[in-house]
Formats: sequence, structure tokens, C-alpha cells
Amino acid sequence: MKPDALRGHLDALLLATLDGRQLHGYAIIEALQQGSGGALDLPTGTVYPALRRLERAGHVVSDWSTVGGRKRRTYRLTQAGQRALNAERSAWREFTTVIDGVLGGGKWAQQ
Amino acid sequence: MGAAVRETDPIERYVAELGARLQGSRKQVRDLLTETRDSLTDASEAHLGRGLAEEEARQRAVEEFGPVREIANEYQAELAVAYGTRTLIWLAIVLPLMHMAWEYGRLLLVGPWQDFGSMPPAWYLFIAKANDLTSGIASGVALVTLILGRLLARRCDAKLLARLGAGVALTAVGAVLLGNLSIIVATAHLDVARLVQSLPMSVASLVTWTVIVRLGLLARRCLSCATIVA
Repeated sequence: MKPDALRGHLDALLLATLDGRQLHGYAIIEALQQGSGGALDLPTGTVYPALRRLERAGHVVSDWSTVGGRKRRTYRLTQAGQRALNAERSAWREFTTVIDGVLGGGKWAQQ
Repeated sequence: MGAAVRETDPIERYVAELGARLQGSRKQVRDLLTETRDSLTDASEAHLGRGLAEEEARQRAVEEFGPVREIANEYQAELAVAYGTRTLIWLAIVLPLMHMAWEYGRLLLVGPWQDFGSMPPAWYLFIAKANDLTSGIASGVALVTLILGRLLARRCDAKLLARLGAGVALTAVGAVLLGNLSIIVATAHLDVARLVQSLPMSVASLVTWTVIVRLGLLARRCLSCATIVA
């Protein structure tokens, strides 16, 4: 999947990846790739500014800890982040239902 | 880590190049680079586990991370927003406190201003009133910008937010500077002796000016962080 198509959804994807768990940056990237069956092809470096943006919005918080001698920054959802994720999920369901009603059910779909 | 390793190791080279392009709070830059190095090391270990040779694994991790210029630009935008946020917090807190401390100090050390002998002209009273209000207004505007920045964090481009923050910070400090300068010039015009009638208040004024200049430098650095092309 092209990076440009993903950018608009990156925040929602990150929120969904952090749903119910606390992960460090690379674990988030791995979870995103595994969750998409490897289809998400985004420069991994773009995930970190997006995490900062979510932190600014109060949707995630981060903590530093030392694991195996290395400093790691781990991220988790806040209550506001959980609410934002729920809203993103509802909006996505509504969007796909509407688009699928046209693209998936039109006469060209049966051709 | 030695200079030779930094030159030959793809991860260290990438992190060094990224660091050289970034401007902002030293701690924030250090945190970003630590996280980047961590992520690249994790990625290279994952590639090693999939059977790649070490050099190839490290090179692959760097390639997947993205072109350094593109990533640096995204990082820089976040650093600029963070710097702007910090500066606006300083402005929101320090400006009213500084004004209140100066006024309280004056009441304590000098007492109420003695009359000029006759009623000061309307323009002087206007400048005095405006100067009294400037710190509060500048602080309020900084606070509103901080709230707006939080609300718009996901809806607005980080570079735009950073420029907005820097613009507000510079305007706020400029207004306070102008207010202070105006009242000094106006007072000197009416009664120059009043400016040096109390040594403790002269020292307090000097401290005030030092703080304003310091805030001005922070605001200027905000703009520099927000406009630099990483």
C-alpha cells in the first residue's frame, strides 16, 4: 500500500495498535506490519513524529524505561485517546459502509 | 563510540546526519535520536533474525526508516512545536508574575507614586494603562494559543502550528517590550528623576528587562526552529 494513501490514516492506525497495550516504537511498527499482513509500507521513521503528534493531542502518553541496558520509550493510550479511537472506528465503519454501498454494489461490481 | 565507527556504521551515520539537521531543545533532540537509534537497532536485529548479514541488516534498517531529509523535516516540525509550547508556557506564567512582582515591590519599597505636581496628560495615562494591561493580555493570548494548539494538534500541520506559536510568542514579547519602553520614555519626558528615585526598584527594573530579553531570545529561537529547513 502506498505511503501517501496511509498518511491520512496513520493516527487512527497507531491508536488502534496501542489499544489495550503499552508498546515501544519498534514494537508498534512491527504490530502495524503484522496487523496488515505486511501490506503497510510506510517509512518507519514517520511513525515517531506521528506518536509525538498524538502525545501533543493528549491521546497517548510515553514513559522512558531501561530494558536490557537500552533506554526505551513506551507509549500507551490515554482515556482521551481511547475515546478518539472509538470515534475513528465509528467514522471508518460509516465511511466503508457508504463507499461499499456504491463501489461494492454498483453494476460495474458485477461485471 | 569512536569516530571511525560513526563513519562506517550505517545506523550511527544516519543518526549523526539526522542530529546535525535538527534544532530545538537539547533534551528533546537527544530523546528523538535515542529513540531513532533504538528503533534502527531493533529493526537490524529483526533482519539479522531473518538471515541477513549484519552489515546488510543495518543498511536495510536505515533504508526502511526513510530518507534522512524527509524524516528530519518531520522531526523538526515536532521539535519546533515543542519549543513553541515551552516558550508559550513561560510567557503565560512569567509575564503576569513579573508585572505583579514589580508592582508589589513598588508599593512595598516606594509606596504609591507621588503626583507629578499636576495631573499627567491623557497620553501619559493611556500609556500607563496600556502598559499595565499588556502583560496580562500577552499572557492570556499565549494561554489561548496553547489551548488551540492542543485542540488542533491532529487537525493542523505541525509546521503551521509551530509558526503560529512562534508568531504569537514574538508578538507577545514585542508588545511587552514596547509597553515597558514606552512608559520609561514617557516618564523620562515628564519627570526624569522619577526613573532613578529608588535603587531597589532600579534593580527590579533591570531584572524585569533581563527577563524580557531572555523571553525575546526564546521567542526568536522558536521562529528559527519553526522556519529552518532540516
